[in-house]
Formats: sequence, C-alpha cells, structure tokens
Amino acid sequence: MTESGFVPHPLGEEDALDLQLAGEVKAGFPSPAGDVHEKLSLTSLLVRHSASTFFFRVDGTSMVEADMDEGDIIIVDRAVEPYNDCKAVCFIDGEFTVKKVELHAGGALLHPCNSRSGKYKPIAVGPDNQFLIWGVVTWVIKKV
Amino acid sequence: MFALADCNNFFASCERVFRPELDGRPVIVLSNNDGCAVARSNEAKALGIKMGDPYFKIRGLAAAHGVAVFSSNFALYGDMSRRVQEVLRSFAPSVEAYSIDEAFLDLRGMKVEDYAAYAREVSAACRRLTAIPVSVGVAPTKTLAKIASKLCKQYPKLRGGCYLGRPQDIEKVLRKFPVSDVWGIGRRSQKKLESMCVTTAWDYASLSESTVRMMFRLPGWRTWKELRGEPCIEFEDLVEPRQSICVSRSFTEEIRELPLLSEQTANFASSAASKLREQGSAVREMCVFALTNRFKSSEPQTFASSVRVFPDPTDDYRIILSAVSAATAELYRPGYGYKKAGVVFTKLEDKAGIVPSLFADGALQLRESRLSAALDSISASYGRGAVRFGTQGDGHILSSRDHQSPHYTTLWSDLTKVK
Repeated sequence: MTESGFVPHPLGEEDALDLQLAGEVKAGFPSPAGDVHEKLSLTSLLVRHSASTFFFRVDGTSMVEADMDEGDIIIVDRAVEPYNDCKAVCFIDGEFTVKKVELHAGGALLHPCNSRSGKYKPIAVGPDNQFLIWGVVTWVIKKV
Repeated sequence: MFALADCNNFFASCERVFRPELDGRPVIVLSNNDGCAVARSNEAKALGIKMGDPYFKIRGLAAAHGVAVFSSNFALYGDMSRRVQEVLRSFAPSVEAYSIDEAFLDLRGMKVEDYAAYAREVSAACRRLTAIPVSVGVAPTKTLAKIASKLCKQYPKLRGGCYLGRPQDIEKVLRKFPVSDVWGIGRRSQKKLESMCVTTAWDYASLSESTVRMMFRLPGWRTWKELRGEPCIEFEDLVEPRQSICVSRSFTEEIRELPLLSEQTANFASSAASKLREQGSAVREMCVFALTNRFKSSEPQTFASSVRVFPDPTDDYRIILSAVSAATAELYRPGYGYKKAGVVFTKLEDKAGIVPSLFADGALQLRESRLSAALDSISASYGRGAVRFGTQGDGHILSSRDHQSPHYTTLWSDLTKVK
C-alpha cells in the first residue's frame, strides 16, 4: 500500500490482516494446527481505544533518538494520562510539536531527543504560554 | 432516567480539535457551496452571526473580527461523531444516536448514586478523549433531558452536566423556559400557543389534558406528559433506515450545457446509490431536479424535474445511473443557467423483501449486483470516485469548498504534521 493517497477504512474487526496462523508443514505429516484460522489485526494491536486514538506525522528531526524520524506516523491516545517523561504531542503558542515532557509543579519542560545535532534546545513552558498536552504517543510506525 | 448528550456547536468544535489556537476565537462553518453559516462558535454568535446567514452578507463582518471560516468537512464531522458516540456507549447499556451531534442514553435499570456527578463525568470524558465539548442533561424523560442539556450551555458553572429531576427544580426551570424551545413543539403549534397566551414550558404543562389532546393531538399530548415527568417517547437504539435519500448541491457557476449537467446529476446519483446500498435498501422511484438562480431575476427562471419508476426496485449503480442520464436529458432545456440540481430517491424498499417481477432476468441481475459490490469495495479502499462510470465525467462536483480543512482523521495524506 502506498502511504499518500491511500484511504483508510474505518478501523474495525473486519480490518484484520490476512495473516493466518498455520502450523509448520512437514513433508508427509499433516499439521495438527492446520485448521486454526485466527487472524491478526494490526488495529487490535495499535489502537486500544478507537474513540481517543489519532494519527500524526513527524516533521523534522528533533526526536530521532526517540525513534521518531521524519515522515514516520505516530499514534496518539488521549486516554493515556500524561506521565513524567512521556513522549507527547503538545500544542504550544500556535504550533504542534512532539517532545519528551518533563512535568513539574507549575509548568513543564519539553525536551527534544536529538543530542547530536545541537540545534534543538529544551523549551520551558510557563504560565505565559498557550500550552496543552494534546495526547500521549503510544506507537511509532516507520517504513523500513 | 434518560440522558441527552449534545455536542456544543458541533461542526465548529470539530474544526478546533486540530486547531487549538482557535479556542476562544470566533469560528463559523459554511453549508455546501459555501452558501451560508450552518455552525457558529459562541464567540461568532456573540458577534451577531445568525444560523443560515448567507456568507456574502457576513463576509465583511467576519474579516473585520478575524472569524475563522470553514467549508463543511463531513468526513471529519462524521469521524468525530463516531468517537463521541463510542465514549457515550461506555457509559450506558443503550445509546440512541439521535443526530450527528446528539445522542440519548437510556439509564433505566442502571444504578447511579448522583446523576449530576454522572452527567459531569460523561461530559468530561468526551472532552478528554475526543476534545469535543458536550452538554449532558439527565432527567426522567427525553424532553426534560433536552432542556437540562440546554441549561448546561447557559450556565458554564454546571461544568457540562445537569440533572433535572426534583419536582421543585423542574417547575423552576420550566417557568422560565420558552415553550417554543421545547423539543417537539412545532411552528404551527407555536401560533396556536401564542393565541392562548402560553409562553413558557410551565404554561404548557399546566394546560388541562383534554385541552392538549384536542388542540395538539397525539404528539402534543406526548410532549405535555413528558414535561410532567412521564416518559412517553420511545427509546430507539435501532436506527430506522431512511425513507428517502436526497443528494443535491448548488454550483459555483451556473451550468448551461447538458453534458456538464448530466455529469453532475450522475455524481449525485452515484453518491445517493452508495448510501442506499449502505442501508440495504432498493429504490423504486427517483426524482431528478434542476433549478435556476433565483437571485438573478434578469435571467429566465425554471424549476424542472423528471421522475423515473423502476419496475423492479434496484440498488444497481448501472441501472440507476442510466436512468439519471435519461431523466436529466428530459428535464434539460437550453437557454437556462442551472444553479442547483439534485437526485432524490423517493420510494425505498427493504432489499431482502423484494419479490422479482415476472420479467426479471435473474442471471443478468446477479452479474450486475456483483459489479456494484466490486465498486463499493474499491471505493472503500481508494476513496469515492476512484473508479466511476463514464457519465460521471472526472467525478468532481462543481461546488465551492474554498475553506475546507484537511481530512485529519480519514486520509493518511492529510495527517497533521508535528515538529
């Protein structure tokens, strides 16, 4: 499937991938597990709460050391309560950003995860910023 | 006990989910073809923008006050509605999706200690999980629950949840509540009520039962009983199939040529047919219509329509689209500029219950139904119009959507980018 222009179905059980669990086949000996027809669904793995799960796309390289590379799709679940050092999609002063969130009383510190480039600095969030933690990142989907 | 969950300014709230900077700023959403305002945030309402205001009349006001203007994005609204309903279903055993932005919850048989706290909890969960603000009213009847949810919008200190159950509270609220805002009181009843000096919901509930039965018949009597706390309106968690399907649009510019008009009506019919198939119905009678721009009084005016009857009710794209072409050719007259057109399926039947007519060709019908099913599955994977009939042209509807937001939740190519 190509990524751009591909229209996703509504996520559901019927979305199960056509991967069938079958026993190993040994010549001349029928597998006792041959009649198992369970299906693996990527949705059941990646989307725990279908009401609160959203997808975003990574832009830039500020989070490469957290395995989020340019163009990757990140899965965000608003049902997950933000915790200290979680990776989260945040909204600060008119812009979306994904960062590691250090929570402390009265504010937060947004850490980039790219120590090598030297161009990303932590962002201190204070009472003057328009700030919200939009949702916690639960998975990264990347093309190999 | 029943609850009504009503999404606040739903379309405008959907637009804010991926544009949090618009919180606290005026937002409006326009109807198809960017014709008029169909949703307004509270800030837009405060500017005096009314429901249905034509966009060309409020454009100046909107620009002067920095109003964020959006074309309708039904893919987004439909998906956000699905999410809110899912949250609601986790709070009650049965949920009736009343409209895209409202749902009733049946709380009968549920043990709830504190209904006000429950209502606030449902509202908070919707907000946290979907980012949509929802007003939740709880009351002994559906009609009162609607009133309770309206109170949430008036009084922010209710924090999105209101319980209207104690008789003294109900009386206090109904005494101030305009009867014209009560669910089920129509325009025609309003005239009668005015002449009877009935202005509040309390006035109405205080009428005698015989007066109500005589003047307002069964529906008015049900509303009367519901206002008095006696549940009368059925809870319907099964969605009734629609009795008719209409797809119509206004065009950005008047269409004067038959081939172009025909392409448009074919696209409307294709989209109506796919709705028809989704609900498992077949169409027996169809009407195609086209009308000129009534605001251009210097031009010749017409409202033309043409009806087709299918001897065997059908849900087959090919049969429906060729009938639409014929109907469009029949209604079209040169010399007119058509501003709007549409296709209405007027008589629908349950597909499972259809007895084929004596002259139906079973083998042919089977082949055709396989073709239609294949088209549905291609559309599901690759988007509507990925495969289409020649009569549909390039599949585009010539309608303005200049301000449409991305399909954030339904197209991989439209995901919001985060740095």
